[in-house]
Amino acid sequence: MFINCRGERLYLSKERAIYWEREKMLIISDLHIGKSAHFRKSGIQVPDTVGKTDLQKLTALVKEFKPFTLLVTGDMFHNKINSDANAFLEWRKSYSEIRVVLVKGNHDELKTQDYVALGIEVHHKELLCHPFRFIHNKPKVFDEYYNLCGHIHPGIVIFGRAKQQLKFPCFYFNETCGILPAFSVFTGLFIMKPEKGDSFYAITPEKVVPIAISS
Amino acid sequence: MGIETSKGYKQVMKWLKTTRKKPFKFQTDAWQYYAEGYSGLVNAPTGFGKTFSLFLAVVIDELNSTQESSKVKVVPGKLTTKKAKVQTGLKLIWITPLRSLAKDLSRAMREVCEQLGLDWQVGVRNGDTSQNDKLKQKKQMPEVLIITPESMHLLLAQKSTFNYFEHLQCIVADEWHELLGSKRGVMAELAISRIKGLLLEKHPERLLRIWGISATIGNIEQALNVLVPYEDVLKVIVKADIEKKIVIKSILPDHIDMLPWAGHLGHKLADKLLPIIYKSKTTLIFTNTRGQAELWYQTLLAKDENLAGQLAIHHGSIDFELRNWIEDSIHSGILKAVVSTSSLDLGVDFKPVDTVVQIGSPKGVARFLQRAGRSGHSPYETSKIYFLPTHALELVEAAAIKEAARTQNIESRDPIVMAFDTLIQYLVTLAVGDGFDDEKIYIEVKETHAFRELLPDEWAWIMRFITTGGESLTAYNEFSKVTKIDGLWKVESRQIAMRHRLHIGTIVSDAMLKVKYISGGFVGMVEESFVAKMKVGTSFTLAGRVLEFAMIKDMMVLVRKSKQKTAMSPSWMGGRMSLSANLGVILRKKYNETLDKQHDDEELDFILPLFERQAKVSHVPQSDEFLIELINTRDGYHLFAYPFEGRQVHEIMASLIAYRLGRLKPISFSIAMNDYGFELLSEQPLPLDEDNIKELFSPENLSDDIIASINATEMARRKFRDIACISGLVFQGYPGKYVANKHLQSSAALFFNVFSDYDKHNLLLRQAYDEAFYQQIEEPRLAAALHRIQKSKVIVVKAESYTPLCFPIKVDSLRDNMSSEELSQRIERMTAEAEKKSVRKKNVH
Repeated sequence: MFINCRGERLYLSKERAIYWEREKMLIISDLHIGKSAHFRKSGIQVPDTVGKTDLQKLTALVKEFKPFTLLVTGDMFHNKINSDANAFLEWRKSYSEIRVVLVKGNHDELKTQDYVALGIEVHHKELLCHPFRFIHNKPKVFDEYYNLCGHIHPGIVIFGRAKQQLKFPCFYFNETCGILPAFSVFTGLFIMKPEKGDSFYAITPEKVVPIAISS
Repeated sequence: MGIETSKGYKQVMKWLKTTRKKPFKFQTDAWQYYAEGYSGLVNAPTGFGKTFSLFLAVVIDELNSTQESSKVKVVPGKLTTKKAKVQTGLKLIWITPLRSLAKDLSRAMREVCEQLGLDWQVGVRNGDTSQNDKLKQKKQMPEVLIITPESMHLLLAQKSTFNYFEHLQCIVADEWHELLGSKRGVMAELAISRIKGLLLEKHPERLLRIWGISATIGNIEQALNVLVPYEDVLKVIVKADIEKKIVIKSILPDHIDMLPWAGHLGHKLADKLLPIIYKSKTTLIFTNTRGQAELWYQTLLAKDENLAGQLAIHHGSIDFELRNWIEDSIHSGILKAVVSTSSLDLGVDFKPVDTVVQIGSPKGVARFLQRAGRSGHSPYETSKIYFLPTHALELVEAAAIKEAARTQNIESRDPIVMAFDTLIQYLVTLAVGDGFDDEKIYIEVKETHAFRELLPDEWAWIMRFITTGGESLTAYNEFSKVTKIDGLWKVESRQIAMRHRLHIGTIVSDAMLKVKYISGGFVGMVEESFVAKMKVGTSFTLAGRVLEFAMIKDMMVLVRKSKQKTAMSPSWMGGRMSLSANLGVILRKKYNETLDKQHDDEELDFILPLFERQAKVSHVPQSDEFLIELINTRDGYHLFAYPFEGRQVHEIMASLIAYRLGRLKPISFSIAMNDYGFELLSEQPLPLDEDNIKELFSPENLSDDIIASINATEMARRKFRDIACISGLVFQGYPGKYVANKHLQSSAALFFNVFSDYDKHNLLLRQAYDEAFYQQIEEPRLAAALHRIQKSKVIVVKAESYTPLCFPIKVDSLRDNMSSEELSQRIERMTAEAEKKSVRKKNVH
């Protein structure tokens, strides 16, 4: 679904991505490439199909939107280069025309030459692209830029009559910032508590659904 | 026969005479069978010297053999002393399920050895054993080692394990009934199989005896066969034909209206409890949860301040030193009363205890009798137990338990089988230790009761899981855990080995944090999720003390003494127990008897007014009737049904009926249940009337309908939480020893989703569903209940407001969901309401 954010038309995809039409920019966050391989290396049995699924999802998105830029707002890589990261290198080669930009997150600990080899443009703290500031974790002080970030893996719990409840990953927007859901399927959820002025868009298997908030 | 003529026997008899004791027949029987080389199970009531029936058997054997060898010992000097030293080492492994038992046992055993002049060391090894003591044991094992199943596995995770068991004569599993129905029992089975295997490799001529000690349970023969599954050993059950006298009395309020219709605290009856404490020497007060124990401790102190210093609280989250002190104080009779959870359930012999109080329903006959046995511990003394109801209907349960105790209608404990998670943990444990030969271990494992049905395919999968990381055909080149070195499977990485050792065990709890005074001194432990809700200055109670939260530092909760008198108690997670089938049957009978007045139970007389009220506003179901109440309120449309089959069966039945109603029209439910019945609540009218009720409760297509009900997934997901921890996929917090590794954080739920989506044939996933189906769903019991309902007369009552029967279900806080509607349609009607939710949570505490 489309939303309007600071006068810009943003498309919220159920594949956990934002497409910014004007800039032809596909925005995702918390990709965690290599997380499953890192777990395996430490003797924890995560199926390696997990990493592949993430890349397949990314491929589908790229085919759908044909973006000029792929922007990752942090936690693109989990720890070090490993087999999963090599799979990404293969992926990168087949989409070499796309500009890949990374705003670094707390898990991004690759060496500079690794990023160069992967053809990734790295921004250490933030990337300003009017009217947005792309940053991994939402800043504590605010200015004229609207912050788009990731990091917390937002989720929302909704309640109905007769004591029903449901839980979803979601997009979150307030006055000063928007938070993207984690892109990787191998991630947990941080359940947000709604406050006044918040907007939530739940991600269901079929579509993105705006959530009403009652107090 | 012939043991009577042996020197060891005579020596023991002589010693018993000096202490004016005479052995019971079951004890001498056990000694005789032991001498003849039998393995077996001793079944006797508490307080009759079950411990001695086996410990003295081993002692007699030792005395006989040393006397023989002392005859040989003719050459004086260095040579013999050296030889004598070689002969010492671990002779007896004594497995106990609870740490608190170890101290008592070791004291009793040491006394025996001392008085018999037997130069034996008695050691204890469990989570509370100091590093120093462990090192000493490593250098020189004591002759007797009292150990928990977890610590046994930790021993196997050490290098050169075999040396420990060189002289082992016997393994005893104490309180075996307690281990039997849990994965800890499987751990014991596996450890025994390995120790037996190790001994067989080096000394095939030696005989290792395996004995169990068990309270009476419904399946005592099976209990023996689980502990000693081996075909080639002599096996026997030694049963004491002594009966323990038990007096059960309910604590009744002055009037029925003083008892709430629902609730689990019962503290309104505290005034009635005080006189019982006063007139008894020492009283043990059992509660069902740690939170309840904390509340009762506070309530009693508030009622009578003179009890300060004479009242203590004991549960699993209280610091070891403190627990120790409490146990010692019970022994010495300093304490007037102790509020406790199941942490004091088992065989500790507290002589001064003459009265036991059970608060709230114990949910099973076996547990109730076990607790009753804590009082009047000496032979022929009468055990006295008071039952304090927490809500009115529990009085009927009290009457039912009395009857079950009288007729010795005691539950079975079903042993756990095919626990792949425990097997995976065990194999990695062996790999961390000396390494293992997979062919040899496969044979050993397959001999155990738990893995009798293990297929070669499953074994191969498990080996792949720990060596290559799983099923997928792609190269798992980076996976590392267990690798083959010199023909043995081993763990090479020190980090993986260390992490594994920290997580050996099958008791999964939330991440726990230690609680410590800023000024020093540990108090106990609380769950991380509880701490997360606290702000600086918030007060809470632990170990009966009111504490003020100051900060979290180095994974420790720092507190100071609070000036407040009362505060919230931590809610520790823990499974809720379900009414046993045995008790359910008697309970239905008691419902019949109440209105008919065909009984001699004072509890039922007392509760009669409530039943009359129920009869007035609705109906009291007879055992050939099945009652359904339909009530409309602001919340929506309620259906209450009362099969009296226990929480567990109701959970499944409720989702089954919800699923079948959902086939009639798209509808969403929230589900609640207790031991008497269940509730379906929907915002829409229910498509149900007198005509289709029997159809809805039909046992036809039962299996298919259960599988189709989405709750199977939810239940498996819940089961998977433990499985993921036990098999080493996720790491639970370890009190005080937090391993910080931000790159390896994940949750069981995440693994469940990932396996469901990407690794469907994962055996651990299958185990989660199996556990859900066989342990949780209890399909045979459910089918039997549905058949019974088919034969019953269905009575549908449209009640104006909540009835005495439905009220306890309605206020239950645990709820499930079930829906046959489109997801997006549901979302449209639902909202995110953070505020309301937090308010509700507060009420729970």
